[in-house]
Amino acid sequence: MVMVRNTVDRLDKPSAYFNAAGKRRHQQHNRRDEEEDKPQEPIDDPLKDATTLYVGNLSFYTTEEQVYELFSKCGEIKRLIMGLDRFNKTPCGFCFVEYYTHQDALDCMKYIGGTKLDERIIRTDLDPGFEEGRQYGRGKSGGQVRDEYREDYDEGRGGLGRAIQQEQRLRETERRDVDEGDYGRLK
Amino acid sequence: MADYDRRGGDRGGGGYSRKRRYNRADDDDQDRGDRRGGPRRRFNEPPPHVRVRRQLIGIAENPMRPWHEEVQGIASLMCDNYDDTLLRDNFVNLCLQVALEQPLKTPFVAAVVLLVNTNKSELVERLLSRLTEAIEERIGQGEWRDVKLYLKLLGCLQSCLEGDGVFPVLEELFARAVDLQTASSEDTIGTELVKIILLTIPYIMATASGDAAQKAADLMDKTDIIASEPHALQTLIDPYHAGAGEESSTSSLIGLLQKQLQHEAGKGWELKCIPRPLTFPNEDIELQSRLDEAKKHVLPVIKVPEAVVAGPRPLFPEVYFSVYSDQDVESVPPTTDIAASLIRDALLDGINVLDFNRNAVARNLIEVDCYFAAKTFTARATPFDRLRDIELGRSTWKPEDVAVDAVFSQLLQLPGPEHKLVYYHSVLTEACKQAPAAIAPSLGRAIRFLYRNSPRMDLELVYRFMDWFSHHLSNFGFTWKWIEWVEDVSLPDLDPSKAFIMGAIDKEIRLSFAQRIKNTLPEPYQQLISADKEKDVPDFKYATDDFPFAAEGRELASLLRKKGAEDEIQAIIEKIHADALDRNLDPLVTSTDVFVTAVLHMGSKTLSHVLAAIERNKDRLLNVGAASDAAREQILQSTIDYWAAHPGVAITIVQKMLNYNILAPQTVTRWALTTTAGKTAGDALAQTHIYELVFNTVLKVSSRVRATVSAPPAAQDRDSDAVMDSSFDADQEAEIKAMRDLFRAMEDALVPWANGSKDEMIEGEFGNGDGKSERDALVKRWGARWLRVFRRRAAIEEAFVQEAGKKREAALAALAAAPAEPNAEPEKNGDESLDIIE
Repeated sequence: MVMVRNTVDRLDKPSAYFNAAGKRRHQQHNRRDEEEDKPQEPIDDPLKDATTLYVGNLSFYTTEEQVYELFSKCGEIKRLIMGLDRFNKTPCGFCFVEYYTHQDALDCMKYIGGTKLDERIIRTDLDPGFEEGRQYGRGKSGGQVRDEYREDYDEGRGGLGRAIQQEQRLRETERRDVDEGDYGRLK
Repeated sequence: MADYDRRGGDRGGGGYSRKRRYNRADDDDQDRGDRRGGPRRRFNEPPPHVRVRRQLIGIAENPMRPWHEEVQGIASLMCDNYDDTLLRDNFVNLCLQVALEQPLKTPFVAAVVLLVNTNKSELVERLLSRLTEAIEERIGQGEWRDVKLYLKLLGCLQSCLEGDGVFPVLEELFARAVDLQTASSEDTIGTELVKIILLTIPYIMATASGDAAQKAADLMDKTDIIASEPHALQTLIDPYHAGAGEESSTSSLIGLLQKQLQHEAGKGWELKCIPRPLTFPNEDIELQSRLDEAKKHVLPVIKVPEAVVAGPRPLFPEVYFSVYSDQDVESVPPTTDIAASLIRDALLDGINVLDFNRNAVARNLIEVDCYFAAKTFTARATPFDRLRDIELGRSTWKPEDVAVDAVFSQLLQLPGPEHKLVYYHSVLTEACKQAPAAIAPSLGRAIRFLYRNSPRMDLELVYRFMDWFSHHLSNFGFTWKWIEWVEDVSLPDLDPSKAFIMGAIDKEIRLSFAQRIKNTLPEPYQQLISADKEKDVPDFKYATDDFPFAAEGRELASLLRKKGAEDEIQAIIEKIHADALDRNLDPLVTSTDVFVTAVLHMGSKTLSHVLAAIERNKDRLLNVGAASDAAREQILQSTIDYWAAHPGVAITIVQKMLNYNILAPQTVTRWALTTTAGKTAGDALAQTHIYELVFNTVLKVSSRVRATVSAPPAAQDRDSDAVMDSSFDADQEAEIKAMRDLFRAMEDALVPWANGSKDEMIEGEFGNGDGKSERDALVKRWGARWLRVFRRRAAIEEAFVQEAGKKREAALAALAAAPAEPNAEPEKNGDESLDIIE
């Protein structure tokens, strides 16, 4: 059967987020983001049976229980992995939600993505599946990249971007190598 | 050309290239520069097929543009570029697609087609042949909504059809409906067919002429028998749960339709709300006459098979539900008016078809007045209080009330709407986001209506309302005028209104946190949030020596934390057993409480922690449960006790314990309906989280059964020694039996509550004299409400199993007839369901 384009766009298209991310990268010249390794224009679509969602823009204070409460509305959750600061092991504002079925994941894209959890608009994207290591932020200081250079003050995500907050402290300790492992030991 | 196509949304086919993007940006700049320099734009207009597509999809969206101009514009664009084959092909398909996906626009699309017919009638010929093919195909598949939507388009084209046009198709469908209804009083396909017929007639009549009125009258004479008879299943799906001796006043959808149409026929088919885009200003008599003289087409015959099927979705009779039905000023069409059904139907299809884009759905809802005749509605966002000032004879229907009403009719549809409930939540959220000033007050009145009526509503629906309410508030800063209900805070917990308040607050807290919610509530409500709810981690009851076995509890907890050896744990458990025997307690139940509480405490930090803790101690928990039902119930009891302040967490843990088979579904229902309801003399029946726990458990069982019985039979099944008198294999039979047993046990547990014969009620020491009888009446009502919900569930699941059995039988027969296929599908579904248990 020929795929027919709908008369309005679909919200459960996996590429929508990737396109948006591409645009963002293009505009802001951000170098990396945690979704960097998303497949580009996949030939054999790895998302066609995806049951996992990447969930972004969570508050650092949002708990697993809150995520369960909201995301269970689309089906039973098989597994939930909270995104953690790779040094502090504290939540850093994203998570992976795995459902039992692809349909539940698609429904979640359509019905929960873009709505609020803990009073923040959250973002969902289909994900090829969780792998060990992906639960950690990839930013220099351990959290998500977007929390490094963020110029707006976001109370739910640790205030200003960490790199900006850190500037002074880094200047003081200039002799140190700017090895990302360092930030975890700063106190 | 390909470039334009891609602009629609998906940049498919390898368009991702940084270089190209930069170029495109440059182009835009230049474009702007060019415009300043001269009238020539660098880009030409998009090609005709793109323009037609864009205009047809967006038809009638702009309220400033007169309809007749718009449809004429598209029609002439079509005819002027008729040589463009791409345009011609696309046009036919697009008309059909818009009819399916955006049914509000169907009358406008039909108007374009009628105009095209005056010039290029061969295109309409093609469209009609595609349309009739499509209708035939969907009838064969039992896709009844598609059939209805295509028939609506066809109905709007009646004026370009020869002879009786669409009527013979409707008569053919009616013949099937009669056969089905005569064969079984529980038939639902016939009901659906009559609904389709009745909803198509008005669109035919809006454009028809000649003896159509007579045809319609004849047809309605016939449908009357089916439409006026209350359906056998109607009591099952009534949103209101009439108490003993009360009559439900809910009327069936087709019953209403029938009356509305008869009323409309009496007025000469005025059909005021249906838009007529082909009404031209007076000077355009020429165009009107061209329309009248345009070629009439013979409608290709649509074959309706002798045996029609129910299709992928189980069908149920429907009722008309409105949350604005008891107002002193009509803000929605009254149920006597055909507009009520026509607008509702068009909105519902739009909502349910476009579930993949709630933003578009919300916009269509907000702009509903664009798609119906002028003056059907009052101005958007007119405050309800102002409706009274509207002069007599003008419409007082608020477009946002009509829209909100449609969504609630789905959210509160029994047995269930087409999509997950959260979809309808998201539509309301989106509508409220897009037009807060218009939508929010309408939602407010809907909430008040539902709150006021919740005591007489079906319990399942009250739960859905509560779930939506709390979820909705979580999207809008948890603001609600709680002060309105403040008097109800002092009601007993058994009162349905109080139960709603407590349930809603708990759900709000689950999506947020206690302190935050407390701040949104007026003072009298705050005492409903206990101090325990503000603690992140519940107290460990063995932390102090107030409880027996506290020392052992602490010891167990520390052993578990250190991942101590099994025999060390066993030693403590045995010590508890010995002490328990001395104190005349059930040893296993006692040790289970200590053990489970310790495990939960160890995992109290997050759900991940507790799930890991349960996983690690799974074997011991499984053994405990296998050894004694009482101990297994204790696992559940200890979980509920430990997480008493956060029932949401307890519910999630119990779900996982069911997956691990640590708990059995019957453990949950027995614990809730017999043990706990008994201990609390019925109070537990009013607690939302108990209902939620039981409901989720039943849902889990029934969806497992559904998945199992729907699995297509594998090749080896056909000659296996299947259970006699059944098309299911032994495993499937076992699952079905377990489900039936569960429903039977629930029935047995609930009936005594519902009829007041429960021992705890008779002997109850709670109150006496008048107080007692009042309390008993409340408990009885709760029992009856629970019973209704789960009896309905049982009936629906039973019907599903029967249907699946028939399908399986047919599939087995087909397998038997065909030679064995080597690469037959493996039992994929079976594996999946196993996966869920793990």
